[in-house]
Amino acid sequence: MIYSMSRHTRAVLSFCIALSLCSLSGINHSTLAASIPHGTVELVAENSWIAPGYGSTVGLHFKMEPGWHIYWVNPGDSGEPPKITWQLPQGLVAGEMQWPAPHRMGASTIVNYVYDGDVVLLIPVHAAPSIAPTSQAKLGAMVRFLICSDQMCVPGKAQLSLELPVRTRPPALDSSVESMFAAARAKLPQSAPPSWKVSARETKDSFVVDVGAGHVIAQAYFYPLVESQIDNAAPQKFEATTSGARLSLHKSDQLVNHISRLKGVLDLGGGEAYLVDAPIAAATRKPSK
Amino acid sequence: MRRSAFALIAGVLILLVAPLMISAPKIGEPAPDFSAVASNGKTYHLTDLRGKFVVLEWHNNGCPYTRKHYESGNMQRLQKEWTAKGVEWFTVISSAPGTQGYITADQENAYLTKMGATPTAALLDPSGDLGHLYDAKTTPHMIIINPRGVVIYDGAIDDHPTSDASDIPNSKNYVQAALTDAMAGRPVTTAVSRPYGCSVKYAGASH
Repeated sequence: MIYSMSRHTRAVLSFCIALSLCSLSGINHSTLAASIPHGTVELVAENSWIAPGYGSTVGLHFKMEPGWHIYWVNPGDSGEPPKITWQLPQGLVAGEMQWPAPHRMGASTIVNYVYDGDVVLLIPVHAAPSIAPTSQAKLGAMVRFLICSDQMCVPGKAQLSLELPVRTRPPALDSSVESMFAAARAKLPQSAPPSWKVSARETKDSFVVDVGAGHVIAQAYFYPLVESQIDNAAPQKFEATTSGARLSLHKSDQLVNHISRLKGVLDLGGGEAYLVDAPIAAATRKPSK
Repeated sequence: MRRSAFALIAGVLILLVAPLMISAPKIGEPAPDFSAVASNGKTYHLTDLRGKFVVLEWHNNGCPYTRKHYESGNMQRLQKEWTAKGVEWFTVISSAPGTQGYITADQENAYLTKMGATPTAALLDPSGDLGHLYDAKTTPHMIIINPRGVVIYDGAIDDHPTSDASDIPNSKNYVQAALTDAMAGRPVTTAVSRPYGCSVKYAGASH
């Protein structure tokens, strides 16, 4: 632990030196990656400049050594998602972090929703019409996260910053990062098609989610967006139906209050994932036998 | 005696778990019985502790969430306060050999001294049997058993699921609240919460 702390401090130092060199040389649209325990993290801008009244997007790009992972917005049975604290000039506002569909990781009793390898978390940034077009906008971000392997967990933090010119013309895409942003967007869960009918009902032990997609769904996994609603480690019972799929999700032992909606990401495999927000019909009281 | 001597010398625990309970305990149900060897060399049986409140605290000394509560002195304060009121407080270490938090008896005794931690004892569970018996998921993960041997709390130490010690003063401590309620003869207000922290580093967790 002492080793990793000093390594971290060194990394931050060298990053700060690198950053000042980098601003001197005028390369401002993306930071150099900061070293973190078992990986790197950088802040990348999609556009070459920002403009008054226009939106833009920045990406928080983690690269992790094999065997290490960070956590989704709902981390599952343990862990914690990355958190970002912005230091922004007046007139710039950062929106909510956008989370690609995670993957399930874990043993029989502890299951987590994670990212490993390479992941880009997108964050919308909006510039107010009043922002001065002559200035250079400096975006600072303190990122804190937990990174774990099967054997251990290590806390990480990095102070990142990004300098972008402010111009009046609509922001141009930075071609050097176009493919990175396109790939990151492709991994975000999409809104469920308007023709879909998704409903849920409650039994004593489970939530049963019916997805009416108008076609057979061959496979599906439900990632709950809210903690402590379903038992993460319990197998999800999947049934293909003629018009979609039915999933039975075991309730969490931590669920003590009644819930009226089930929100999550329905992952159909092959990079196809949808946001689902299903009202839960009350349990039927009449005897079924 | 021979067994505990062996455990001390080898720095390995031999844990005997009643193989009767399979599913995790639930609030209001009897706590599964166990017999476990501690870093002090003693063997503790849950059935011998009837008549007392028992706290189980899952622990991994390298985990940032455990460190939050030890480097701030928060966990030690709780241990001191409640053992003084007659609670039997067990730190449980279920990290498998080779994983974060795994510790020998001697190392754990030195750690307790260094940190000023005064649980009743630290149970060494490198096989993970005790952890699995209670379905411990995180470090910390807190379980409270009442004097009749019934589970009355299962979950997090408090309501701030972070590794930042500066959150502690603004946190509601669920263990403090549950023990206060239960000792006053009141029902426990929050009996279940989502435990937070590092996953317990069980043997074979990668499979």
